Amino acid sequence: MTPRHLLVLVLLVAGTAVLVLTALSLVVLPGPYLRLHALSCATSLGAPLVVLALAVDTGPGRAAVTLLAIGALLAAGGTVTTMAIGRATALLEEPEREELAQ
Amino acid sequence: MNAWLLAAVVVCSAGLAPCLWLAARGAAQYRLVGISLAGTLAAVVFLLLARGFHRDSYGDLALVLAVLAPAGTLVFTRFLAGEPVDAVRDTAGSEHGE
Repeated sequence: MTPRHLLVLVLLVAGTAVLVLTALSLVVLPGPYLRLHALSCATSLGAPLVVLALAVDTGPGRAAVTLLAIGALLAAGGTVTTMAIGRATALLEEPEREELAQ
Repeated sequence: MNAWLLAAVVVCSAGLAPCLWLAARGAAQYRLVGISLAGTLAAVVFLLLARGFHRDSYGDLALVLAVLAPAGTLVFTRFLAGEPVDAVRDTAGSEHGE
């Protein structure tokens, strides 16, 4: 087993573990805002780790650049999505909080 | 079965099931978290399957999903929440010259 193959396996196992743990934490974590932490962790850490494993296994070239671009898209899209869901949740819960305050 | 296909099976079974469960219950804004994470996981599964089956063209599905899944979620959030009340009030005030 070459060091490169070992690195690929480590990245793949780490990324897969992060994705599965974050998905399972959606069920465990209470409340919508805590679940957003799991979502951002999966998109900014789990998916890029798996894509990095694929890119290292592919080696330098056009295919690796395409994979890294997909990973960057997933990370950027996930970040924007997390912020948008948090904003929508806050806006929709604002009237309920005002009713509770009164 | 190689490591890529094994990872795809693990992510598809243990990862997508909680997302679908969360996306099927609760208020609409709470379901969006499950849908968004399911999109990310599906893109990763497509990438892993492409490498596992040695078909690089399958990766195009992941590219399309990486673009369209966040866009779809953003549209959902837009329809759900809309504009903040203060922003709508400010816009209406500026249009009337106030």
